[in-house]
Amino acid sequence: MSYAETIDQAIANCKQQTVLMQRCLAQEKLMDALKHASIMLTELRSPLLSPKQYYELYISIYDSLSILSNYFVECHSKKHHLADLYELVQYAGNILPRLYLMITVGSAYLQSADAPREEIFKDMIEMCKGIQNPIRGLFLRYYLSQRTKQFFQAEDSETKKANVNFIITNFIEMNKLWVRLQHQGPLREREQRTRERKELKILIGANLMRLSQIAEADFKLYKDEILPLILEQVINCRDVVSQEYLLDVICQIFPGEFHLGTLAELLATSLKLNPTVPINKVVLTLVERLNGFIDRQENPDLDSVTRGLAFVDIGEENKNLFFMFWKFLNQLSEERPDLSLQELAPVIQGILKLTLRWYPDNVSNVNVLFNFMHEKCKEYGKALPEEYDFLFHDLLLAPELKSDTSFFLRLLTECEAYEGLLSAQNSNLQRECANEILDTLTGAEWRISSKPELEKILKLCGSLVESNSDKMSSSLILDEEDDLDSENWSFSPDQEKLAHITHLCDNKSIESHCELLLTCRNWFQKSGKNIKYHSPAIICNLWKLIRKCQLRINRKPEIREKLNGTMKQLFKHVSLIINDIYNACGGGCLDLLYKLNVQTASLADQAQLGDIAYDFFSQAFTIFEESLSDSRTQFQAIVNMAQTLQKTRSLYMDSHYETLITRCTLHGSKLLKKQDQCRAVYTCSHLWWATEISPLGEEEGVTESFFREGKRVLECLQRSLRVADSVMDNVQSCELMVEILDRCCYYYIHGDEASTHVGIKYINGLIELIKTNLDGLKLEVTSMIEDGPKLKTDCAYIGIDGCYIHRNSANSVAAVYTKPPASKTTLLNFIPVEHFNRTLKYIRDQKDVDDRFKAIVL
Amino acid sequence: MLLLALSDAHIPERAIDLPQKFKKLIGVPNKIQQVVLLGNCTKSHSFLKFVNQISSNVVIVRGEFDTKSVASTKNSREEIPLSTIIKQGDFTVGCCNGYTIVPKSDPLSLLTLARQLDVDIVLWGGTHNVEAYTLEGKFFINPGTCTGAFSTDWPQSQDPEPETEKSDADKAEASVTAANATANVTATATQTGASESDSEDEDENEGKSIPSFCLLDIQGSTCTLYIYTLADNEVKVDKVVYTKS
Repeated sequence: MSYAETIDQAIANCKQQTVLMQRCLAQEKLMDALKHASIMLTELRSPLLSPKQYYELYISIYDSLSILSNYFVECHSKKHHLADLYELVQYAGNILPRLYLMITVGSAYLQSADAPREEIFKDMIEMCKGIQNPIRGLFLRYYLSQRTKQFFQAEDSETKKANVNFIITNFIEMNKLWVRLQHQGPLREREQRTRERKELKILIGANLMRLSQIAEADFKLYKDEILPLILEQVINCRDVVSQEYLLDVICQIFPGEFHLGTLAELLATSLKLNPTVPINKVVLTLVERLNGFIDRQENPDLDSVTRGLAFVDIGEENKNLFFMFWKFLNQLSEERPDLSLQELAPVIQGILKLTLRWYPDNVSNVNVLFNFMHEKCKEYGKALPEEYDFLFHDLLLAPELKSDTSFFLRLLTECEAYEGLLSAQNSNLQRECANEILDTLTGAEWRISSKPELEKILKLCGSLVESNSDKMSSSLILDEEDDLDSENWSFSPDQEKLAHITHLCDNKSIESHCELLLTCRNWFQKSGKNIKYHSPAIICNLWKLIRKCQLRINRKPEIREKLNGTMKQLFKHVSLIINDIYNACGGGCLDLLYKLNVQTASLADQAQLGDIAYDFFSQAFTIFEESLSDSRTQFQAIVNMAQTLQKTRSLYMDSHYETLITRCTLHGSKLLKKQDQCRAVYTCSHLWWATEISPLGEEEGVTESFFREGKRVLECLQRSLRVADSVMDNVQSCELMVEILDRCCYYYIHGDEASTHVGIKYINGLIELIKTNLDGLKLEVTSMIEDGPKLKTDCAYIGIDGCYIHRNSANSVAAVYTKPPASKTTLLNFIPVEHFNRTLKYIRDQKDVDDRFKAIVL
Repeated sequence: MLLLALSDAHIPERAIDLPQKFKKLIGVPNKIQQVVLLGNCTKSHSFLKFVNQISSNVVIVRGEFDTKSVASTKNSREEIPLSTIIKQGDFTVGCCNGYTIVPKSDPLSLLTLARQLDVDIVLWGGTHNVEAYTLEGKFFINPGTCTGAFSTDWPQSQDPEPETEKSDADKAEASVTAANATANVTATATQTGASESDSEDEDENEGKSIPSFCLLDIQGSTCTLYIYTLADNEVKVDKVVYTKS
């Protein structure tokens, strides 16, 4: 007898023989039928088939043999006794067909009640030893297992045990054959063989599946009869593919509570595996199963879980899962010094997952794990390579850790080893982690209320604080040139996040809150120049505290004394931090320092602390005088000062107010550019004309006590007009005059000449002056008027700081220039002309509602 | 078209981020055509990134804590102007933080600015207090602070009586109402309701402004203003319609 050369041919042969066999069975020619079956089975002897093809053929043959088997069962006792047939098939010529037929007959025989069950079982499994070729043997035994599976539904424990033994024996033999498959053939085909073996793994796994069906909920049977034998085989076979696969199947197939009861054995086994088996995989599968077990409990508190496990006899020492894994981890590190950090990290991560699921509140478990890892890092000796970054990142910021924010926060503040492990990483990773930690904190809107907590967080962010202060990293905002006077405000995202910490500080007590902020300040000192990023945030929080004091005083005037003391202290801290920035950055951020002083002053003023307000204002003046050099910076600074001073109310004592506003106006009049002087001085006129502050209950027309000196207002306007007149640029000069006219209208609305000193005569005179000056410009304009249509699309204006704003209909946004745009000179002439026309129209409109305006001659 | 006005974010020195609810509302790409940052919005990398992703058409004016320049896509470094003009539909819109306007946020001063720049709408900021009103037929909008940042201005809650109307310069006010009546223009919405509730428990809310921003829907000669405020973690929307006369 021979076999086909290709799989197609083999299957065709099979089909043909099956048809013939069926025909013989119909004619009740049993011997002929067996002969055809035997020819068909010969195909299984083919050495030419790959495992996959062999499997295909096997399936086809299995179906054919089922026909035969059914026939046997039907005709048993009627036409022939199966005991006789069992004898008969022993005479088949070749061993492989013989054994297949034998199993077919044997399993059919087992279906009748009178069969000598145990003897048949024993005989079949003994005979299978006759095939030692791995593939043929594997499939033959698989056939045995498939044919016999229906007979394993025993109830009594003795039979169960016997069945288990039968399956395990078969399993062990199959596994041996499977392992042997690896070592056949030439060495260079090794990898291919490994691949082929993996295709066949299901044959072996089926046995374990059957065992789990028998064991069902019988833990004792599993623990005593099944698991030890399987594990023994796993260890003994020393084969990587087999060990990895079998442990995985054991974990997957048996229920989670069984694993709880046999954890020690499983872990012990994993220590004895072939060193090339990825141990982390085993641990992870096990952890997932154990965690899955909790997930499936309806009420996942630990007590009920333990109670649910009562029927599984877990020894006392096995109850603490974490402890068992911890013991395992120590053994692992002792017995397997060869394990790299790369292999160890996932194991730790697995155990981490376990403890987080089973002991969700236990920080010390996590601490122990991180500590272990930290030790390992130290043993590693050298700097950790970058390719390990993701491992430690996943460990330090595992999603399981972060998912419960309150636990994560406890971890950050209570877990010593967390910080240790973090500090062992390279600086890039540390920064990345610190960033993520801060994101999590701010995302959770966590409030830091105690100093130790805060210090812990700051320590964790040490990498950000101490990051190279000279190097700025930002793609969006560029640095200005390394000009000492210019401000270096490239905001690096890292520093931005550090600033967030100060906003997280919170404490009901003002003193404690302040202490937290000062702690931040002390830490940030280390970051050198970078403190300019976070210090304003600290100052802002101090401001808030000052405001808090102020509001408390309003509600409880009886504690004014005490709170005033606190406030003064807070102002001192603000001043200190402003100095810090100055010392660290020198000229790098003078405008910022100036504004901080101005705003702090206004807060002090609101708190009725006039002296302190005066100090901060004068500090701002000092910066202005000594350091602010850029003319545009100076202009906006002085105007901003005027705006702030105009809203103060507590400086009137000791003529602080007059000192300050005179000084402000003086500085305004001394600005470099004449147009800046002019604008600054007419703006400063408002310093002698206080207006209502509605939150204070002041009201125009009702409040009598406004600080107002019309004479000085007029003086300012006159002075600025003189400057405007002396400006050489005609356009700017006229524009400035129109702006002064606008101011005059403002004061004219506010009161009569008697109070504002800005009277009809002055306004009419100004209008005349502007008209005359504009005539010169208009001459130029009329000469250009031929280009009329073009002018409609382009418009130019002068902004509040004298910038030229050019609006083109093609763009929705205007372009702004600090210098007059050369190409648009004709357009510029229109600026004051049209502005003047608008102001005249406004005056005309006012005449309808206010009779006093009728006196203005247009 | 939709124009988004944000002001006084003060990230990170006074606030951590925009409120999440605001982010969800406005963080949708390709919905808003233009964003105006009215000062103190340029110090946060992530904030600017967020704004850029709403619309690439971002207009910035300088607030007192902004530096002179900011990097833009067109030019490696562009100076931030104190004031600028936008043209949308039939409207010209003047934008300015107003930290150089004296007296601060004074309606007559703002009106003068509107005249100087020849604009129909003035967008300004700096007060951390959302406001919108019409004066002399012009529309004045202050979107407040988009993050609820602390303001060093006089605290709102000091006044025992709630302010019902923004009244400044009595005579001007009279002329305003007259002008409004004839021009049929709606004018309302100051942040009064909020400041009332503040005085109840100042200790908790001290120093926190109410986060707010404005969205302008400009169609031809009609501008519909939507004012978004976040009080008690609820977003409230007010609507004001302004038509160019």
